[in-house]
Order: sequence, then C-alpha cells, then structure tokens
Amino acid sequence: MFLAIKEMLHEKLRYSLIVVLIFLVSYLLIILTGLATGLANLNKAAINEWDASSIVLNSDSEGRLQQSFLSQDEVASLPNNGTRISQYSTLVKSENGLKENTQLVGLDSKSFIFKKLKITSGSKNIRNNAGVVSDKFKSDGFKIGDHLLVANSSLRIKITGFTPRATLSALPVVYISPDTIQPLNKGVTNAVVFKNKLKNSKIPKGTNQLSISSFIKKLPGYSAQQLTFDFMIAFLYIIILIVISIFLYILTVQKLPNLGVLKAQGVSTQYLILSTLFQSFIISVIGVIIAIILGEITAITLPSEVPIVIDKSNIIVTGIGIIIMSLLGALIPIRQIAKVDPYKIIGG
Amino acid sequence: MSNLIFESVTKVFGEGSSKYVALENINFKAESGQLILVVGPSGSGKTTFLTIAGGLQTPTEGDVKINDSTIKSLSEKQQTKLRLEKIGFVLQSYNLVPFLTVEEQFKLVDKLKKQNLTEQKMHELLSDLGLLELLKKYPNQLSGGQKQRVAIARALYTDPDYILADEPTAALDTDRSMKVIELLRDLAHKRNKIIIVVTHDLRLKNTADKVYQIIDGKMQMIN
Repeated sequence: MFLAIKEMLHEKLRYSLIVVLIFLVSYLLIILTGLATGLANLNKAAINEWDASSIVLNSDSEGRLQQSFLSQDEVASLPNNGTRISQYSTLVKSENGLKENTQLVGLDSKSFIFKKLKITSGSKNIRNNAGVVSDKFKSDGFKIGDHLLVANSSLRIKITGFTPRATLSALPVVYISPDTIQPLNKGVTNAVVFKNKLKNSKIPKGTNQLSISSFIKKLPGYSAQQLTFDFMIAFLYIIILIVISIFLYILTVQKLPNLGVLKAQGVSTQYLILSTLFQSFIISVIGVIIAIILGEITAITLPSEVPIVIDKSNIIVTGIGIIIMSLLGALIPIRQIAKVDPYKIIGG
Repeated sequence: MSNLIFESVTKVFGEGSSKYVALENINFKAESGQLILVVGPSGSGKTTFLTIAGGLQTPTEGDVKINDSTIKSLSEKQQTKLRLEKIGFVLQSYNLVPFLTVEEQFKLVDKLKKQNLTEQKMHELLSDLGLLELLKKYPNQLSGGQKQRVAIARALYTDPDYILADEPTAALDTDRSMKVIELLRDLAHKRNKIIIVVTHDLRLKNTADKVYQIIDGKMQMIN
C-alpha cells in the first residue's frame, strides 16, 4: 500500500477534503441514528423492560393499548401467569407545582413485570396509592415521598421509587396497583402481557395475540417516525456512496496517464485496484472516527430534552455501513483502472 | 546473451473499410550491447512497434520472442511480470509518479518486486547518472533532462534485459538530447543491455549502433 499512502500524504488537501465530506455526512448519520434510537426508546423503553414475548389485546383495538378493553370473561379465560395491564394517560402535578404528562400503568405487585422492574432509588412499593415512577420524574425535580396529584381526580400517588428506562409512547410511566388505577379507568383491563407466546387455542374469541415487536410497531406514531428516520439514514448512505464515487473517480481520471505508464512498467492492475480500495478504506475510517468522537461529544453536550442515544451497537453498525459504502464507492474508479490500456496512454 | 526477435510481425487495426496495417511483415533482431534507433515520421508505426516489443500488444501475425521465448504464449499476468522484471520503459512523458520523490520511485520498484536492493544499487545508479543530489526531489522539482535521467535510472534499476524508450528526447533541447542518447549508448555498451529508442529525431541517428526506419508500417535498416 506504499503507493496509496504516499499519494495521500502528498495530496493532503484533496484527500482531506474527502475526509471532511465523509466526516460531515457520517456525523449527520450518527446524530440521526442516535435520535432515531433515542426516540424509539422513548416510545418503547418501558415495554422492553417488561421482558415479555406477547400481549393479548381486544381484536378491535388495532394493537393499540389505549383502544383495547378486555372483558372480565376474556381475562379470566386467559392463562393466569400473565400480567394484567390497565393504562391511563393523564397529567400529574406535584404539590410544589411541577407538572408531567404521564402514562399510569396499573399492574399487580406479584406480576412478573413488576418483579422485573429495577429501582434506581427508593423502594418497590405500590400499595396504598403508592407508585414506582420513571426516573424522568427524578430528573425533572420530583423526589421520593412527593405526591402526584392526578388531573381531574382526587387521586394522590406517593412516589416510593424511581425506575429506569420507563417511558411509553414518549411519556414517563407511573406504575401503580390495580386498586389505585381503578377509580380512573373503572377497573378496565386493557391487555394481558405474557412472558412466553401463547398457543392460539388459549386465546379467547374477541382477543388477539401480538408479539411484543409487533405491538411496538403499532404504538401511535412509532412506525411513521422510524420509517422517516430510516429513509433519511438510507439517503445519507447513498450520499456517502455518491460522494466517494465522484471524488475517487475524478482523482482516478486525473491520474490515468500515470496509471497507464505504471501498468506498462509492470505494475499489476490488482495492485492499483488494491491501492484505491485501501485509500477509500483509510479516508472513510478517518472520517468515521472523527464523526464518532464529535457525535459522542454532541450527545453529551445536548440538553437532556433531546432524546439522543449513541450506543456501541449503533456506532459499530453505522461505522461498518459507512466503510462498506466507501468501498462500494470505489468500484467505479476501480473499473476505470481496470480499463486503462497502457498502449493507448503511450500513444499508439 | 539476451535477444529480442520479431519474426514476420504484422499488426492490423480495424476491419473492412477501416482496416489499417500499422506494421507489415517486420523482421527484426536485437542483441545485448546494442543501442538501436527506430526512426520514422509520425504515424509510421514506431510506437506500435515499441508496444509490441514491450508486450503491451500482440501481433496480428508473426511472433515476438524474448530470449527465445514467445511473448504470445504468456498469460496477461506473466506479461506483467515480464515487463516488471525484463523490460524497462522510458517514455516521453508521465515517466515518473508525480507524488513520489526520486528515492521513492525506486522504493516502489522494490515493493513491487518484493526485493530489497535499494540503498547501494540505487546510489550507484544515481551516482553514475549524476543524480545523487536529487534523491528527495519530486518530479515537478526536476528539469526535463533530470526527469529523463531519473526515468532511465529507474528503468535500469530492475536490471532488465532491454530498455524501450519512446521519444525520450522529445521534450529536450539538442544539447540535452545528445547527452541522454549518449547516456543510453554507454549503458547499452557497459551494462550489456539492448536499448531500443523510437524517435522521429533524425539528429540522433549517428549515435546508434543500428538504425531502422519505419515508413507506412514497413521497416528497413538504414544504418
């Protein structure tokens, strides 16, 4: 790779420009991927924490928790190892004026979901109008022992503990007991969540079983939001492909006479192609590394209201994706190199 | 003793009404220790002759042999290896890689040949050609004559059996042209190489051991 490295060191400005372009697009890609992940987490984090496999909802609910109402008979005919979920969206206020839109989730303290809940501070107690709340409340100034006043109701929920990653449809969750939620939703069970997938014979008529991943896709706005991000991310990958192709193509065309002479002098086409691939690899790696570093710094410095999550798996996938695009982008210049006829360059 | 032989070589481009005979029934033999000049006007077939001699093209008819081996029978990979190891090219322009220093031009050859001759041999060659002080210079920092001398040194670096030079003096004035051609002649004689120079510059014809002329694809020895 002697030739490739020497050329890049000698043509610093040209190759730096390509690195800058790759960095800019990669940075945008990392930020967008981080936002997509962050927003997706806001929608589904609580569901992921449940660590469940399936959910049974009313057949007419279109997979939406809020639209699903299960009758007592339907609930009774389901296996009793599921967690009955009652949900109610509302506004809660603290006694000192803090406000938060929230999802109240009623469940039994003996249910597998509640047992799985992690606590970052406080205790895991939902008896007697107590609630375990998302740690978003904590970051917004709520404290253990505070009372949440539920809008349009006389219900007061005492915060006993904070739980991490507890957001549902972008709202923080307050886990309370079925008795506590009863006055708000008239004791309706919206869904029953199971650790394992149920056999179809066990699903009562009028209900429908969804896998958790399907249920997440049906969360209001979730799929539209993720598709929009996916579209933008895919488009940025295409931009990287085009940028690399154009730059390397122009650079290759400019040096075709030299390549022709090198071929005449016994330099193999394979060597020249590998040199170009190596250059493409190096510039994309440099661009990606700078983008990752700045992406991480950006994620740290952005206010917590911006739901950005730059995790390792995203960085690895994005980094590999950009490098693959860069290598694909080198294919057009490679074709030029393969086609160079030293005879024509020498002037026959 | 190395040799390069053309046996009844004909090269035809195109077909039908666009058919063009670039070389016609060429018989030619060169042996070690000779500087051979191939002269002729533009479009006469000189470069076609050179590229066939260098294995960059194959003849339509006839055969080219290097050291009694037929080029035609070699695969593309073998021809590339042959050019790297047995043939040195000196061209009118684009001779040197623009982003490599003089020293690095030689190192590139080392890398390609997976050899490690460098320092001593390179210094000897450059010293012989009066180029030692140019080691760290890039091609754009050299004069036309210096570039050609570096190209000649690089062509010799792999110790090829023969050197093919295409208009090596085209960009040079008379004085520098004569110096370059004298250098090539000395190398042919002292290092026992076959050096074939293709040129339209008739000023050079008294410097060569043999002079051939190509006109309309036909070759004849004139000196």
